Amino acid sequence: MKITEPSTTRRSLLALPLALAAMSALAGFGAGLMSFAGTAGAAPRPGTPAPDFTGVDSNAQTLRLSDFQGKLVVLEWTNDGCPFVGKWYQSGAMQQLQRDATARGAVWLSVISSAPGQQGFVDGGRANQLTQERNAAPSRVLLDPRGVIGHLYDARTTPEIFVIAPDGTLAYMGGADSIASTREEDLAKAEPFAREAIFAVFDGKPVLHPVTRPYGCTVKYAD
Amino acid sequence: MSSSAGRNVVRRIAGGAGWLCLALMLVLGGPVAVQARESTPVVTDHVTVTLVSEVDAFQPGTPFRIGLRFRIIPGWHIYWQNPGDAGTPPSFTLSSPANVTTDPIRWPTPVRLPEGPVMTFGYTGEVLLPMSLTPPTATPESGHDLTLAGDAAWLVCADICVPESGSLHLTIPALAPSTTEPAGGAEAALFAQADSRMPQPSPFAATLRADGTLSVTGAGLSTATVHDAWFFPAHWGVIDHSADQKLAVHEGGLTLALTQAADFATTNSLTGVLTLRDSHGQESNLQLTALRAPAGAPAEAAGSPIPPLFQALAFAFLGGLILNLMPCVFPILAMKALAISQLSGAARRTIRGHALAYTIGVLVAFAALALLLMGLRGAGSLAGWGFQFQSPVFVAAMAWLLFGIGLNLSGLFEVGGGIIGVGQSLALSGGHRGSFFTGLLAVLVATPCTAPFMGAAIAAALAGTPVVTVTIFLAMGLGLAAPYALLALAPGLAALLPRPGGWMVVLKQLLAFPMYGASVWLLWVLSQQAGSSGVLAVAIGFLLLGFAGWVFGLGQRAQGRWRLISQGLVVVAALGIAALVTGIAAMAPSTVANAAAPGDGSEPFAAARLAALRAEGRPVFVDMTAAWCVTCLVNERVALIPTRDAFARNQVVYMKGDWTRQDPEITAFLRDHGRDGVPLYVFFPPHRDPVVLPQILTPDRVLRAITPVAS
Repeated sequence: MKITEPSTTRRSLLALPLALAAMSALAGFGAGLMSFAGTAGAAPRPGTPAPDFTGVDSNAQTLRLSDFQGKLVVLEWTNDGCPFVGKWYQSGAMQQLQRDATARGAVWLSVISSAPGQQGFVDGGRANQLTQERNAAPSRVLLDPRGVIGHLYDARTTPEIFVIAPDGTLAYMGGADSIASTREEDLAKAEPFAREAIFAVFDGKPVLHPVTRPYGCTVKYAD
Repeated sequence: MSSSAGRNVVRRIAGGAGWLCLALMLVLGGPVAVQARESTPVVTDHVTVTLVSEVDAFQPGTPFRIGLRFRIIPGWHIYWQNPGDAGTPPSFTLSSPANVTTDPIRWPTPVRLPEGPVMTFGYTGEVLLPMSLTPPTATPESGHDLTLAGDAAWLVCADICVPESGSLHLTIPALAPSTTEPAGGAEAALFAQADSRMPQPSPFAATLRADGTLSVTGAGLSTATVHDAWFFPAHWGVIDHSADQKLAVHEGGLTLALTQAADFATTNSLTGVLTLRDSHGQESNLQLTALRAPAGAPAEAAGSPIPPLFQALAFAFLGGLILNLMPCVFPILAMKALAISQLSGAARRTIRGHALAYTIGVLVAFAALALLLMGLRGAGSLAGWGFQFQSPVFVAAMAWLLFGIGLNLSGLFEVGGGIIGVGQSLALSGGHRGSFFTGLLAVLVATPCTAPFMGAAIAAALAGTPVVTVTIFLAMGLGLAAPYALLALAPGLAALLPRPGGWMVVLKQLLAFPMYGASVWLLWVLSQQAGSSGVLAVAIGFLLLGFAGWVFGLGQRAQGRWRLISQGLVVVAALGIAALVTGIAAMAPSTVANAAAPGDGSEPFAAARLAALRAEGRPVFVDMTAAWCVTCLVNERVALIPTRDAFARNQVVYMKGDWTRQDPEITAFLRDHGRDGVPLYVFFPPHRDPVVLPQILTPDRVLRAITPVAS
């Protein structure tokens, strides 16, 4: 029997040195891609662009983070039933921080990622009522019952604060301050990380602690 | 799911232990039960809390233990010293007597309490948190009772959290001064139970690798003794609490793949509790501190990271087997299968001889491949991985080569003549020599097809010693040869082979795109090295290659004069590319000077300038980088650009060494700091020793390095 080679099986044949060179080039390429993906795909990181999102607020208005380009944006994860959040609101400290930040032009977005049936879940009406009762001063209250924005930012606790600089990069992520407690008297002793970060950005100074430990209750995501 | 099951198991174990305790208390403590040293409880909706003493009566001046005892209703929990992603640990402060203080709480090993994407660490059911205290020495007071009063505060959580607190009072009598017997108390069993969950100092050495892997080594660790493991970090921020911890156990050690968190890069050690569970569910809780393996140290030095050799060999063999499915190699195999079918009548010995010759051919080719690659690596290790990319000519040549391979895979032209043609004719010549050359040919032919898949395997193979490398490559070769050898031994199998067909063409064309992708990346690298004129030169090269490929392809299908004309045109294009090479080689050096001044406030690195600045007492930050170093670029974007103001404020001179192209001064600087590659960040504070920063930077770390310490 005669060995015949069909035309479709006529293969490209390249010399070994060329193959070696191709392999080393690709190895470099692959390694580069991998290390790049490792940083780009991960959770938000200060100094990198804050992930954009679209959300619905307590007045059923749709908003996009990128609508606020050029302004400092604060994201505050909250849950009115959480005692750590309670410390901040019963003392009036959170309301004060909201007023001080928005007075300098910040956009303050309180975010509620509690799932329906979970502690802290509210509808728009109840959210507005809470703002009124507590004399709070967020610019908007975002309702995130499916946890989309929460997962995007990998928010794990309430209260947890993210500060986004006017150029859209994340400047701070972490706790509202340095003492993980539910006692109001600790507020005065704590280092006010979130406040420092917000005003450092306003003043054009570097944020000394761009990542701190978020403390509080777990965000009550749907299971 | 599995973790909640784990929690249930733990709860069941704890429940069982509770019964055991009760039995023990009945047996041991029966007679003194009335003397029990347990405070009146603080009872809330969720917990019952008491203060207990390990002894019924204390010896003045002799330390003993008290404990905060929590009985928690089902479904609720309190927290460990590091509560994880949320929560807060319980606290206890002794308010009276004033001259007595307690040592910090000693924390029993917690359990994991996952909640969706969030992980917390704590206790369910019943737990005792022991503390030591030293009662006053014999004074007028001695012989009297010791009355302790303290305040406890705790956060108790289910899906919601409730902060609670209470005051506890406990009176313990002193032993009569003459008594020397130890006073075991009714509550001692509770303490014994707590001690059984207390982490013990680890007998094993532990290191933390730069990628976050915790490596623990020591005799006794093996797959027989370690079935399951979890690491509880003592502090927030070094590793991610909720990420999976992939366990790999080998003889004499284990590794846990931890996930880095925000503070990882700036931390030199990781402290916490490692829980090991054997196949019977028996737990060992080890208190350990893992030191960071020196940055840039090879993996071997950090412990025992390389999978056992036999495992690597098995994977290499499998990899070799898979090579047979590559479209380039399949026709060869099919061809040989046909040859075998002809041999079906021949003697077994003849068939085996052919199989052996083919296998040897494959192995020889693979050994040559391994040696060549090691040669490359040998050169590379002198100057660092990726050094070859420092030459713009190399980068351009690579870009063209990959583009050309891509065109070929796309089907623009075929390459069939030359050396390989000779190989092919040799392969078609019968006999053992033919089989040997077929083996060689299969490897030669397989490599271009497999390049995109081989990167990882090659990296793994080259991480080992030369012997390991060659062995792994040979295993790959055996894998490639295996099916043919099998076919030779069982000729009936040949009929089962899928026929070569159109699917191979589609696969081949698909493989062109990784090639194009790689050439685009190389073009970008070149733009950093040789500027826009370099890019133009390479792009013209692409054009010439495309043209040459097309003409060559036409010529292959043409006859006579047209064939000659097309070959002439190909030669012209090749000459054009050669001219471009000399052009790139000539233009590169002149553009390097401006590449190092990117207008980011940096000045180009120069050893003499660094020495002069240090003599002046100026702080200097040296950043060694390269355009082809992706880590360097990410660090710059994440940590160095955002902190530029701080550099200015602290009057730090920012010196940048661009190693995109070879530079002996930078290479020397890298070697002085024990590195053979970039990135390298070194801060030279005024009049003090330099500080080498981690290879992954955070703004915080940079600021801490360059901000003068207030004294």
